Amino acid sequence: MSIDLNFNEQQQLIQNTAREFFQKHCPIDVVRRAEKADEEYPADLWRGMADLGWLGITFPEAYGGLGCSFLDLYALYGELGRSLAPVPHLECVALAGTLVAELGSETQKAEWLPRIAAGEAILTPALMEPDGLYGPDGVTLSARRDGDNFLLNGVKLLVAYAKSADRLVCAARIGTGDGAAGVSLFLVDPKAPGVSLEKTTNMASAPLYAVIFKDVAVPTSDALGEVGGAWPVLDATVMKAAVLQSAMVVGAGEVVLDMTADYARTRVQFGQPIGRHQAVQYLVTDIAIEQNLTRNLALRAAWRIESGRSFLREAALAKACASKAAAAMTFAAHEVHAGIGFMLDYDLQLYTLRAKHWESNLGDRRHCLERAMAEGGDDPLPHFQHA
Amino acid sequence: MVDFCPDDTPQLKAWRGEVRAFLEAELPGGMTFDYDYDEDEAGWDAYLAFWRKVGAKKWIGLTWPEEFGGLGRSAIERWILQEEFAEYAAPSHPIIGMAVAAGLLRHGTHAQRLRHLPGIASGAVQWGEGYSEPGSGSDLASLTTRAHLDGDHWVLNGQKTLGTAAHRAQWMSVLARTDPEAPGHSAISCFLVPLDAPGIQMLPLHNMADGQQNQTFFDNVRLPADSLLGDVNKAWNQIWFGLGGEALDPPGPSPDPYRYRIVRMLRKVMSYCRETRHRGRPLMEDPVVRLQLAELLEGVEAIRTQYYESYSNAVTGITVGPRPIALNLHQAYYKEFWPRFAQTCMEIVGPMAQIQGGRWACLNGELEHYFRGSVSNHAGGTSQLKRMVLATRGLGLPR
Repeated sequence: MSIDLNFNEQQQLIQNTAREFFQKHCPIDVVRRAEKADEEYPADLWRGMADLGWLGITFPEAYGGLGCSFLDLYALYGELGRSLAPVPHLECVALAGTLVAELGSETQKAEWLPRIAAGEAILTPALMEPDGLYGPDGVTLSARRDGDNFLLNGVKLLVAYAKSADRLVCAARIGTGDGAAGVSLFLVDPKAPGVSLEKTTNMASAPLYAVIFKDVAVPTSDALGEVGGAWPVLDATVMKAAVLQSAMVVGAGEVVLDMTADYARTRVQFGQPIGRHQAVQYLVTDIAIEQNLTRNLALRAAWRIESGRSFLREAALAKACASKAAAAMTFAAHEVHAGIGFMLDYDLQLYTLRAKHWESNLGDRRHCLERAMAEGGDDPLPHFQHA
Repeated sequence: MVDFCPDDTPQLKAWRGEVRAFLEAELPGGMTFDYDYDEDEAGWDAYLAFWRKVGAKKWIGLTWPEEFGGLGRSAIERWILQEEFAEYAAPSHPIIGMAVAAGLLRHGTHAQRLRHLPGIASGAVQWGEGYSEPGSGSDLASLTTRAHLDGDHWVLNGQKTLGTAAHRAQWMSVLARTDPEAPGHSAISCFLVPLDAPGIQMLPLHNMADGQQNQTFFDNVRLPADSLLGDVNKAWNQIWFGLGGEALDPPGPSPDPYRYRIVRMLRKVMSYCRETRHRGRPLMEDPVVRLQLAELLEGVEAIRTQYYESYSNAVTGITVGPRPIALNLHQAYYKEFWPRFAQTCMEIVGPMAQIQGGRWACLNGELEHYFRGSVSNHAGGTSQLKRMVLATRGLGLPR
């Protein structure tokens, strides 16, 4: 079969199962309660996902995973976006866990992957720093060899679920310079001496932290992958996760579109439904258009990953589009909803405030557009997409 | 199964190679002629000669049955052919002939197909459109051209306008009202009209981009009974509009060279930015220009993926949401993106982009011409119309 934008049977099964699972176990009041709860994510929801195998969905079966493909994972992410499930899947499975699976030693993989898959351990990435740069030049936290240890010094921001985490997967720099060479990854216990956490809540009540490293001693055996040579795999993993984040925008966009079209059909002003006004129709169709563009670009990037093709350019385009769509779709939805949409009791705000985090997470629009151009080199617009 | 690769077998790869070899032999370097925006004789001669060569290979009607001048090949082979033509900067095939062919293949009689399809397939016969009228543009169903039966002949009276390149055509597909009492689209029929019939007069309209469109007047034009395509009063749903344009490219949507001009123009502007130095560095390295180019790249790439979605929807029959969503959504996006794209290209190239030709023109004046052409994004229905259809038929908002 050539040219087909539909999921295969397995992906449809994952999609349908996930939709039913989240409808049952993560209705919108679970999302609301999680904003106020002490625990950083609902433990029973996380356990339920573990029982379905989703916490090790792409890990090798030898490490307690399901050995599923990237598109299988992608199918799950549309549903994570639709449901706004307040769980650390992107951080723990798609990023930190995948980095362990890709770069880890036998010992590291055996230690962490089965426990992540079982819902017994949380790993989370610590990547961003105060400069807010997404490239290798954004990694300045210093790692210095000291006997059998590395000493880490620096600051990481926007580290999600840091308090719950058993380990941070921390990007650090060995030596000088600001390029890819020197970027290293370390597994760091957030309770280790010298690590301090400051909660930095965002508008969607996400459990984000500033993590300050002061002479944190990390055994050399906790380096993940080659010291100084982690960037290519870290980058590829982040870009794959950016495609998953785009899938969440696509899924959430479906809900925002349905919510807004329903409101436009039923809200009566001037003696008729507001959706009859073409000014309103333009706003509702804006949502449909942004969602469609993101869906197609994200699916194409996912297919390139799945089929072993180069994907960095396409992933960057997908996330650039998703970042714009996240903002544009919720903007249009608020224009249509007006006063009621501004109220906390109405569900639209839950999407809007998370969209703001997703917009910049793993690459904002400006960064991703530049990345797409740079990855294209002398030919940013290659002739055929299937090469 | 998600797949964006059209040629995943050795046979299909070989087919792509065959198409490319033909284009490299017949059209080295592409062809800049666009029939909508060009009106010089030499251009028209070369254009029609090229399409007769394509017709001689039976590639115009590639997927049609052999008895009508086709080769009976598959939809995916048509896709690959179209993609090669588009990437190679081949000029677009006259779209009306393909729309008429689609109508004939679905609703024509056997005799009508035998009569008309071989001429379209060979490239010998050109078709014009008789749809828009001075009082009926977006609201096409309000058209007032009428036809009535007189014995065994239809008699056609009325006026059509904006007929692109109709003066180069031998035949015209004309929509006319066949029941004066019935309102809207419920009484519209489609007629196949030879343009040399007595009672037809054509006057030129010159568009902003150097092309010629036409007004066509029908004064008691007598047409034999078999001029009617499909059922009487049913043209709206049978021929084109009820299908939202899907029927334009039987058997399914594929990349079309017409829209692919946007891809080619972006490549040209990017080349210009690599070759042109401002303040000691290539324009391509100016961060503002790079961001502008990247946003154009995103839109162009999004449009390219929409071809895949259209094809997947048509061939698998599976769509995201109701069917009118994708077709009208793609059209609305393209129609709004195109003029903005042309505008941004003009901004990137700068003030000299306005020079029309000669040694001081940028991009050989092609961008200047392209910009004027982008004002024609209403063709086939305005973006506002596509948005309204998307909102009402696609998303269920009240009409």
